[in-house]
Amino acid sequence: MRYEIRIDGHLSKTLAEAFPELDHVVVCDQTLLYGPVVDEAHLYGLLARVQSLGLRLLEMRRVPE
Amino acid sequence: MSAMANQPGDGAGADSRVDPRGDPFLGTRFVAPVRPATFLRRERLVERLDQGLTTPLTLVDGPAGAGKTLLVADWAERLGRPVAWLTAEAADQAPGVFWAYLLQALRAAGTRLSPGIGSPAHAGSVDQTLLARLAADLGDMAAPAILVLDEFERVPALEVAEQLEFVLHHAGRGMRLILVTRSEPLLPLHRYRAAGTVTEIRGAELAFTPAEAAGLLDVHGMRLSEDAVSALVHRTQGWAAGLRLCALAAQRSADPERCLKEFEAGQSTVADYLLAEVLKRQPAETQDLLLRVSVVERFRPALADALTGRTDAEAVLARLHHENAFVEPLGHDWYRLHPLFAEILRAHLRVRHPRSETELHRRAARWLAHGGSLAETLAHGSAAGDWEFTSRALVDDLAIGRLFTALRSDCPAELFARMTPEADGPAASIVRAARALADDDLEHGILHLRRAQQLLSEDTADPVARLSCALLEALVARRTGSPGRAEWAASVARDLQDAVPAERLDRHPELLALLLTHLGSTRLWSGHSDAARAALTEAAGSAGGAATAVPRQDALGHLALLDYLDGWIARAERRAHAALREAERYGVPAHARSGIGRLVLATVAVDRDELDAAQALIDEADAARKGADDPVTAAGRALAASRLLLARGSTQAAVAAAEPHATAVVASPWAEDRTVLVTAAARLAEGDAEAAVKLLEPAMDHRPAWTVEAARARLAAGDVDEAHNILDGLPATVPGGPALTVPVTLVRAEVADRAGDPATARRLVARALADARRDRLRRPFLDAGPWIRPLLAAAPADEPVRDWLDTRPRTPVRRVREDDGELPPVVEEVSPRERDVLRRLALLMSTEEIAADLYVSVNTVKTHLKSIYRKLSVNRRGDAVRRARELRLL
Repeated sequence: MRYEIRIDGHLSKTLAEAFPELDHVVVCDQTLLYGPVVDEAHLYGLLARVQSLGLRLLEMRRVPE
Repeated sequence: MSAMANQPGDGAGADSRVDPRGDPFLGTRFVAPVRPATFLRRERLVERLDQGLTTPLTLVDGPAGAGKTLLVADWAERLGRPVAWLTAEAADQAPGVFWAYLLQALRAAGTRLSPGIGSPAHAGSVDQTLLARLAADLGDMAAPAILVLDEFERVPALEVAEQLEFVLHHAGRGMRLILVTRSEPLLPLHRYRAAGTVTEIRGAELAFTPAEAAGLLDVHGMRLSEDAVSALVHRTQGWAAGLRLCALAAQRSADPERCLKEFEAGQSTVADYLLAEVLKRQPAETQDLLLRVSVVERFRPALADALTGRTDAEAVLARLHHENAFVEPLGHDWYRLHPLFAEILRAHLRVRHPRSETELHRRAARWLAHGGSLAETLAHGSAAGDWEFTSRALVDDLAIGRLFTALRSDCPAELFARMTPEADGPAASIVRAARALADDDLEHGILHLRRAQQLLSEDTADPVARLSCALLEALVARRTGSPGRAEWAASVARDLQDAVPAERLDRHPELLALLLTHLGSTRLWSGHSDAARAALTEAAGSAGGAATAVPRQDALGHLALLDYLDGWIARAERRAHAALREAERYGVPAHARSGIGRLVLATVAVDRDELDAAQALIDEADAARKGADDPVTAAGRALAASRLLLARGSTQAAVAAAEPHATAVVASPWAEDRTVLVTAAARLAEGDAEAAVKLLEPAMDHRPAWTVEAARARLAAGDVDEAHNILDGLPATVPGGPALTVPVTLVRAEVADRAGDPATARRLVARALADARRDRLRRPFLDAGPWIRPLLAAAPADEPVRDWLDTRPRTPVRRVREDDGELPPVVEEVSPRERDVLRRLALLMSTEEIAADLYVSVNTVKTHLKSIYRKLSVNRRGDAVRRARELRLL
């Protein structure tokens, strides 16, 4: 499965490194993290990471392969 | 049977100083963080928390860095009433650890809990009855206990949430819970909301208003225009951490106004940007220290120095604390990073010093091995992938027993599951052997143990590792029924005891308790009853509370079996109950519980002709079975199952079940004896007296039970003289309890009866009844045959003995009771709370009235009632009260 995580604001390079398994791109005033998600446990892990880094989650959705 | 759990004889510490993992409690987790000088009190939120005291649950729920913890800490400090505080950790997902800490937090706050509550023995589980005792205790408090659980998002385990809900619900007005969390807990919040029993302070409410933001900046010594403050609040959405970082970044900047303008205009993620800004304004050494300490949960200056390789931590930390940047003091020289900042700093560490984390974990582990807790040492050692070191730390601490008593179901035990094969020192081999043995993998256990012993023989000066090996050797001896090996292991251990530091032995009382239990079990197997009793009695009396609960209940079960084999069935029953109670009190999980206690109870039930109860106990013991039995348990199982089948008349199945399913190096005299006895009794029951005689007579000398059975076989074959002759070989009084002596008396009575001496027969039957009464030993009378009926009927009518004998419709004895009279035994004890309900039932109170009187819900009362009915085997209130009176529960 592939997912796309939309974060409020521009993510610094350093913090983007906290998601090494995902690619990221900065669009307007948001950062898009995207890439393959292994399973549900991984998905919840990503959510927890977003939360623990104090990032504001705007959207998370599954995208077609 | 008593209705209340007795206190265990060892005076086990309910307030023991260690958690179920055997680690000392971390005092820092019971302390609310200190408010910084720059803290801004917000009265509207304080009022909300005050309101929260009117509802059982208060939820402070918001994102990381929303200022939740400091808000509650400040409120709690000024409340003027004791508030218990617990900062949750990931390890609390193991319910045993969580509840041990929660109980300790309540006690640390001065809550007077009764010592009878006990404490969880195992990291992985907690007994439901412990929670019920805690709830009942809290429910009786004059003023509610106020408990704050901070960072509760770290405990997402559903099990813990359900247990918390149970206690909160049943404690009624005795408990006020404040959950501080980043994510909604798994409690049934909709129900609380519908009932208006929760106060929620959520993210939106926690956000700073422009006026509050101005106040916060003010305490940081900054004055901004109203517009500038509004812009900041808008940019940070009133987020406390964002505002605080803004203030810090601006303070250290040459041009604060511009700094804030840049931030406002930018589109960076807030904390990310601001933290980098604050960090880069710190001196290089400080930056380095902050990045490095981000790998540990909490630290002291010395640990920080170990991580940086410098010696300036004390000064740097003092300065950071003074400036209120990043670090929070926890008292006693301990600090932690604000959790949000720690997470971001770890991200910075990975970018600036890739691959340094392993080395930092290694340094942390090495420092903690000398000054910290074992659990933390193991966690960092394994995070560094340094298995030889991590195994060494465990073995050196003399903590190898913990793999059998506590660690196994705990996260740090899981940690050794990741152990890689290249670690090949003695310590790693010992840990591998222990893990295999704990999983019942005897073959690999022995293999790794031999490897460890081989490596150790090259290095003779290592008493700690040798003592660990001796424990494993004793376990192997027990599993293989090998008394020589067990005695050898015990003597090695005795020699080593003085060579290891006494303080470590004190810290790990489970090591010697386990060793003694294994030794006792092996001695019991090989028939050395007195020596077995000595070792088991010592093990059963071990101090150490939760740490030694596993070997204690195991040893008590074995002692029950010894009593049973000596014919003292009431005493065996008491001991078996003590074993079960000990296991329950400390929440020993199913896989670590000794099955022997239940099997002894089952055999006792067969002797009392309570066959359904016996079946239920055997089923329970079978269900709890894990892997292969050790020889003693296998023999206990064979004994219980075959005697039950025999009592039910399934002779062939009884013979098949009589053979224990275990392989052992030496044979067990009593286990073989019992197998032959069951087989002979089965043959006799099938009408083949000759086969029984053939089995028994050649070797019946010094075996009274065989002699009795052989005499019965002779009588069955009509050979009264020979039966008489055989019995002459017995001493006048056979040693042992009623289960051994009563059958002798009865067979003598039968011989007298058949020989035409009714007076002697009557006298002997009366004596048998008197001997059997106290133990309610019914089986020998049922097995005796029809000749006994007239003798029992002829016993004086006021003879009290017949009441107990006469409880079953199937007994051949004349029924005395007029009603259907069959009273199944109480198989489970009635809890104190259930007794409260029972007492009110006896006062003819309605369910609603009881609920109101006990401050619990109607549903709770109904649950108690159901459980009371089940335990007393009744269906109606009136019957429950009557039965409870009969059992003297009221």
